[in-house]
Amino acid sequence: MGEVFDLQLINTAMRQSTPLILAALGGLMSERVGVVNIGLEGKILMGAFAGALGALFTGSPWIGLVCAILVGLTFALIHAVATQELRTDHIVSGVAINLLALGLSTYLFRQIIVPLEEQGKSSVVQGFAPIRVGWLSEVPILGALLTDQTWLVVFAFLLPIALWYLLRTTRWGLRVYAVGNDSVKSRTMGVPVKRLRYLGVLLSGAFAGMAGAFLTLASADQFRENMSAGRGFIALAALIFGRWHPIGAALAAFAFGFFEALQMRLQGQPLFGVQLPTDLLLMLPYLLTVIALMGFLGRMKPPSDLGN
Amino acid sequence: MDRKWLGQAVLGALIVLGVLSLLIVLSGQPLSVGYVKILQGALGWPPSETLTPLDAWDSVLHDMTLVLLTGLSVAVALQAGLFNIGAAGQLLMGAMVASWVGVQQGIPAPVHLPLTLGAGALAGALWGLIPALLKVWRGAHEVISTIMFNYIALYLTHWLVIEYLKDPAGDAPQTAPVLETAQLAPLGAFLSTTWGFVLAVAMALGFWLVLYRTVWGYELRATGANRDAAEAGGAPTRRRMMESMLLAGAFAGLAGAIEVCGASGRFFEGFPTDYGFDGIAVALLGANNPMLILLSAWVMSALRSGTYNLHSETGAPKEIAVIVQAVLILYVAAVYLRKQRVEGS
Repeated sequence: MGEVFDLQLINTAMRQSTPLILAALGGLMSERVGVVNIGLEGKILMGAFAGALGALFTGSPWIGLVCAILVGLTFALIHAVATQELRTDHIVSGVAINLLALGLSTYLFRQIIVPLEEQGKSSVVQGFAPIRVGWLSEVPILGALLTDQTWLVVFAFLLPIALWYLLRTTRWGLRVYAVGNDSVKSRTMGVPVKRLRYLGVLLSGAFAGMAGAFLTLASADQFRENMSAGRGFIALAALIFGRWHPIGAALAAFAFGFFEALQMRLQGQPLFGVQLPTDLLLMLPYLLTVIALMGFLGRMKPPSDLGN
Repeated sequence: MDRKWLGQAVLGALIVLGVLSLLIVLSGQPLSVGYVKILQGALGWPPSETLTPLDAWDSVLHDMTLVLLTGLSVAVALQAGLFNIGAAGQLLMGAMVASWVGVQQGIPAPVHLPLTLGAGALAGALWGLIPALLKVWRGAHEVISTIMFNYIALYLTHWLVIEYLKDPAGDAPQTAPVLETAQLAPLGAFLSTTWGFVLAVAMALGFWLVLYRTVWGYELRATGANRDAAEAGGAPTRRRMMESMLLAGAFAGLAGAIEVCGASGRFFEGFPTDYGFDGIAVALLGANNPMLILLSAWVMSALRSGTYNLHSETGAPKEIAVIVQAVLILYVAAVYLRKQRVEGS
């Protein structure tokens, strides 16, 4: 069994789960203030595209990251205005945002990046370099886990702890909790509901944009059509699985990333003497979420004022 | 007709034309060329040297058959207050099962085709029923579960087609072509659009009758309008919700089966799922009314075929249709589907 389960597998799982964690926490920021966000997928895709484009034309992954975050914020702003000002149904707005992102990123990709490739120029971008671990590489376990990781991975694993602390202890965090559970009462008590909702939705855009940037600036070094490949929906599943809690959502996202890593590692190899089809492993996060929704793993209770 | 409604419709049309014009110009095409290519693809007019009007209409009616059914799928669920994002998965399951029934030997000719289509519809219906059961029994939100079931269907059908149902006569990841006894006939000598189109239109008309002329339809709409009030008024709302999702799945599954028994002739890796998502736009644009959905399905398919013609003749990206569709959904949702303002929120 040694050749399937080792620290390298965990190392890959950390990398695979980074965009899922970032996007799931983005979804958390939005849903905890009562705004349903099924547009994560689209924001990841646009973030991936903007990140690649920014890095391609400036040669700097940092500028790419900033572009990705800005585009994520823009798409989040559409969702915020649609749901808060125009009182559009949250799900319809999210569906439209996913479609818009798919159409726009593919359109712009074909108009900007494909012609470059046809001219024989490279569309590979300068991504983030792995962090230098130095003496840390000597530390058992931790050294092996951090080898070849970018700082975004470290950030994604620290973010849930930070958010958990902030949501628990700060005035902002308590207000978020209040708005998510009863926006009408919160308003009566003088909580600026709309401002908190805008902030939550915008944060979700920033995190989802970062998740997208990770795909092109720290994972694939190249944009490809529809490369988010359902990660926004897996992130949504992780959010439910983690019961709308930052640590829970991150753990669920890590578990789903682990399945991806395992699937990459197995590639047709038998596990415990059983040949597991790739498709079934890829299906696992969705299947587990359905089982969770059935209530076999305890009641999955969303913030009570979600979607209003 | 209501003046305000008319104004909003005109504004919507202007926004769509504005976005479309912008995208044509950004693709490096003059507006005159762009709109002529789109009209040629959508209506078969003005005359084109590369595309005959029959080809254009074939393409429009083929797409319309599918998005009409997925549009009805989304609409029947929405009429009962449920959001079916799962038409794509239900369509896949319908197509998969139909492709399996369609290759079975020894089924008499007059039975084989209806059996194949029925099996596809049934598979879609069962795939739609599970999220409905989760909703009614467990309170699980149908949007989340139908999204999950889309992905489960995607991987399940992919696994089946490469492992168990692959055409033994080749290496391609696809099923064997359905037998002749299970094929839908073309509508005419010149039109390759099949009788599936007629079936889809009949479904829309039949659904309209049931929805607006029967007690069942009344109860379904009452459930969607206000579940508590419907329950108090004696409507079995849980039953109606489950039945609406069964029907939603059946419509989408039938779309998949019609594609398998008609245009594509088999199930294959990468079977198109975007028709499922187009159904959401078609239903919203058609205000969930089967008659208006006939119209919106035609509009969406014409837009699709038109931009596809622009793409194949000038190289402009075909995603123009997707962008326009997204803008249209946002506009319709923001103008016509606004929620009632809750006091104090």
